[in-house]
Amino acid sequence: MTVQDQTPAQAPAAAPAAPLTRPGPVRISVDLASYAYEPEDGAAPLFTLEATSFEVCQRELVAILGPNGSGKSTLLKLISGTLKPLSGRVQLEGLEVSRLDARTRAQRIAVVQQETSLLFPIRVWEYVQQGRHPHNRGLRFESKEDGEIAGHALAEAGAEHLRDRWMHRISGGEKQRVILARALTQQPLLLLLDEPTLHLDIAAQVDLLRRLRRLAAASMYAVVVVTHELNLAAEFADRIVLLDRGKTLRVGTPAEVYQQDLLQQVFGTLLHVDLNRRGVPKVVFSGKEA
Amino acid sequence: MWLLLALLAAAPLGAQTNIPPGKGASRVPPATIAVTDEAGRSVQVPAEVRRIVSLAPNMTELVYALGLQAKLVGVTDYCDYPPEARTKPRVGGTMNPSLEQVVSFHPDLVLASKQSNRKETVENLERLGFAVYTADAHTVADVLASLRRLGGLLGAREQGETLANDLQRRLSDLERRLAGHPPQRVVFVVWPSPLISIGRHTFLADALRWAGAESVVDTPQDWPRLSIEELIRQEPEFLIFASSHADESARTFEDLREQPGWRDLKAMREGHIAVVSEAVNRPSPRLVEAIEQLAQQLHPDAFRAAPARGEEKRENRGTSGRVPASRLAKVQECRSCVR
Amino acid sequence: MRPLTPKRLFVISAALTGILLLVAVFSLKFGTRSISLVELFRILRDTAMGRSDQIDSDFRLIIFGIRLPRIVLAMIVGAALSVAGASFQALLRNPLADPYVLGVSSGAALGAILSLIVAARSPGATPFAAFVGAAAASAIVYFLGRRGGSLDSFALLLGGVVTASFLSAVIMFLMTTISGRDLRGMAFWLMGDLTTSSPIPLRWLLLVLVITIGVIYTTAADLNLLLSGEQEAMHLGVDVARVKLVVFLGASVLTGLAVSVSGAIGYVGLLVPHVMRLFFGSDYRVLIPATALGGAIAIVIADTLARTIVAPTELPVGAMTAMVGAPIFILLLRRRLS
Repeated sequence: MTVQDQTPAQAPAAAPAAPLTRPGPVRISVDLASYAYEPEDGAAPLFTLEATSFEVCQRELVAILGPNGSGKSTLLKLISGTLKPLSGRVQLEGLEVSRLDARTRAQRIAVVQQETSLLFPIRVWEYVQQGRHPHNRGLRFESKEDGEIAGHALAEAGAEHLRDRWMHRISGGEKQRVILARALTQQPLLLLLDEPTLHLDIAAQVDLLRRLRRLAAASMYAVVVVTHELNLAAEFADRIVLLDRGKTLRVGTPAEVYQQDLLQQVFGTLLHVDLNRRGVPKVVFSGKEA
Repeated sequence: MWLLLALLAAAPLGAQTNIPPGKGASRVPPATIAVTDEAGRSVQVPAEVRRIVSLAPNMTELVYALGLQAKLVGVTDYCDYPPEARTKPRVGGTMNPSLEQVVSFHPDLVLASKQSNRKETVENLERLGFAVYTADAHTVADVLASLRRLGGLLGAREQGETLANDLQRRLSDLERRLAGHPPQRVVFVVWPSPLISIGRHTFLADALRWAGAESVVDTPQDWPRLSIEELIRQEPEFLIFASSHADESARTFEDLREQPGWRDLKAMREGHIAVVSEAVNRPSPRLVEAIEQLAQQLHPDAFRAAPARGEEKRENRGTSGRVPASRLAKVQECRSCVR
Repeated sequence: MRPLTPKRLFVISAALTGILLLVAVFSLKFGTRSISLVELFRILRDTAMGRSDQIDSDFRLIIFGIRLPRIVLAMIVGAALSVAGASFQALLRNPLADPYVLGVSSGAALGAILSLIVAARSPGATPFAAFVGAAAASAIVYFLGRRGGSLDSFALLLGGVVTASFLSAVIMFLMTTISGRDLRGMAFWLMGDLTTSSPIPLRWLLLVLVITIGVIYTTAADLNLLLSGEQEAMHLGVDVARVKLVVFLGASVLTGLAVSVSGAIGYVGLLVPHVMRLFFGSDYRVLIPATALGGAIAIVIADTLARTIVAPTELPVGAMTAMVGAPIFILLLRRRLS
């Protein structure tokens, strides 16, 4: 594992929790990648994301954490290849992600959206089967094998019972599972999720993260989740990438990253970090004013 | 999948749109004369025309005027003069006649009018192998020339010449009568609201000139739309309406008289309303009669002198021109106008 | 609903083609002069066997000179407008999109009017000028809709609506100021009218139609994904910019083709895709052939009604589609809202 340049300010209070599984080979390598949005009048670019480097390995679940505007989504877009980095590279198994054509990229990277806006009614299984699109050339119709892969994905996402339902008639939480199933149908190497818990209730949130954790551990996936849910991330992620205003402050295990002073500075509010018995940090927010 | 596309692509080869020759195609085609019609199209008119289909009311009138109604095998829904024309078999409207009906009437020649028919209809009929003669009358003289020409083509040369000469003579008489009378400034009201009049290139404008009138509306547009203010500004001496029924026109005047703008018109206040038969709308032989009628209303004093030869019969027709406002309800027109 | 397989696609297409042929044959039967099925069959058989001299010359003219070309034209126009409508609905992500929303028909109408003013004598001028007008309007809308190298749906829609209304205003202006005589035919054209015989042989029109629909069909799977959002489609490997361009061009060609020969027939491009979706789902791999065939069927039926309902007068076919289309539209809307 590669750790960021800046070393932690102080050693963690307790021994870091042992990773749940052994991570596999490196999937994504972010190498001094940065990005900036062009301002209107040709002035100096405003850096949304300053040069950052880290790696994500197979069977790992990495959480990109930070307050709003810290550049989390931009970083995710760099990883997914949607944006081309201003400097540096983002590589997937040695290939630069932004240089790949959309189809090749889609065969390896699956992005799970928060929501989906469908124009016309479509059944769940039809929607999930669209995940096979990157693997099918041209006008080929889905084969039986494709159907099986889709079915398997639905099961893994916990949505098998929704198979014949209409997409516009299922609840938000159910829809999230279906969207996940479609991503799994792509049989990617990398799963990317941008704030997947935003519209979900707490039970659904926990269920999703637990499922992701399991998927990462058991299969070939590497999972990157962008979130601002501190406790969920601490509970389920192997490693955290902490961003603040475009800068990567720390990369490490939750115990390494969740330092009270650091978090208070980043999130701008009083909080308290505890470690539970398993060594997983718990953030408790104070009601007092800073 | 690809099979399907291939099948579809082969369909063009099957799109048989050439008309296969039918029964009797080997018969020697009848002799024809190459003629250029009034719309500038070249037409192969048969030397002997036995069956005629008319696609326009004025052409139907022409055929009857030439005495050739026996040859007329098809007319439109709007061919209402003479009344017997209504008993002839129909082909539909003027804008959208049924091509199939025309086909089933087997005409040697189809008569069309540029004012009433569409170019597409003429083209379609020609494509089906029919000869179509299109008349295009811009002036009264055109109508007479049309009469002569068609008379010759349809085998009624003498009738055509006679009728045309007679109409010509009447027009010359009228011209003589009106010599020395300055033309009245008029507005021909096609439709009162929105106010639509006629442009200078229409045959109506020409007809007005023959009747001793000058339209104050001078525009190249055929059916210009005017504002009532423009009308007031021009202050025409007469308003002219075309109407088929005495009652209808009386009602129109009663309504109009009260309308703002209209009631301010000098012509309206003085009752200088002239009504002519609807024949004035059609470039047909009846046009001349309508012109005479109108002239009498506009220049009544030109007709109080001793009538010229042959004019006695016409004295009783038409109004005296000035219609007192209180008697608008009793507007009378010539006998031939009332149905 | 069962998954889509090549077999299902074939079955649906074959069934619809069968219905289309049936409707076409029946349509040949109807007209101001009704021909019995027996006679019709005999005529067709004689023609196929080269014995056309046996056919009564009236029937020959009516069937091959009037009805058959009109039916083929109706099929072409129906298929073109329906596929164009379905394509624009996907491209603009808007179920209310029809082939005219991007101003193509206004461009064609303007071209047609200008040709009537400038070159009233030549017969072939009008469809050609209409097509040029359609192409010009599409080009304008294309440039209005470009954002950063690819077509932006929202910008396209706005650009199209603006172009359409501007061109319509120009058309109004011309119609009122230019001599009214020659433009009477325009009223028919604007409503949609199949009586104009196309100067281009029908087989060429058919060829262009099939090729263009084929090209659009190659993006069918991509269109399915595009319907759930451009970002999503891109994440699933769709070359969004290329697909949008292909669909835009293809649908514009189809619309220009249809409008230049028959004027602006309304409701077809909007409704046939929706009706076909009701029956067959919204997978574009089956929707495109289904709407093509369904549109052909619809226009053939509408045209047959238009020329027989008040015979011998013929209604313009656009009047027929409006009369039938409007209630269907309301029905569909209510169903969707419930």
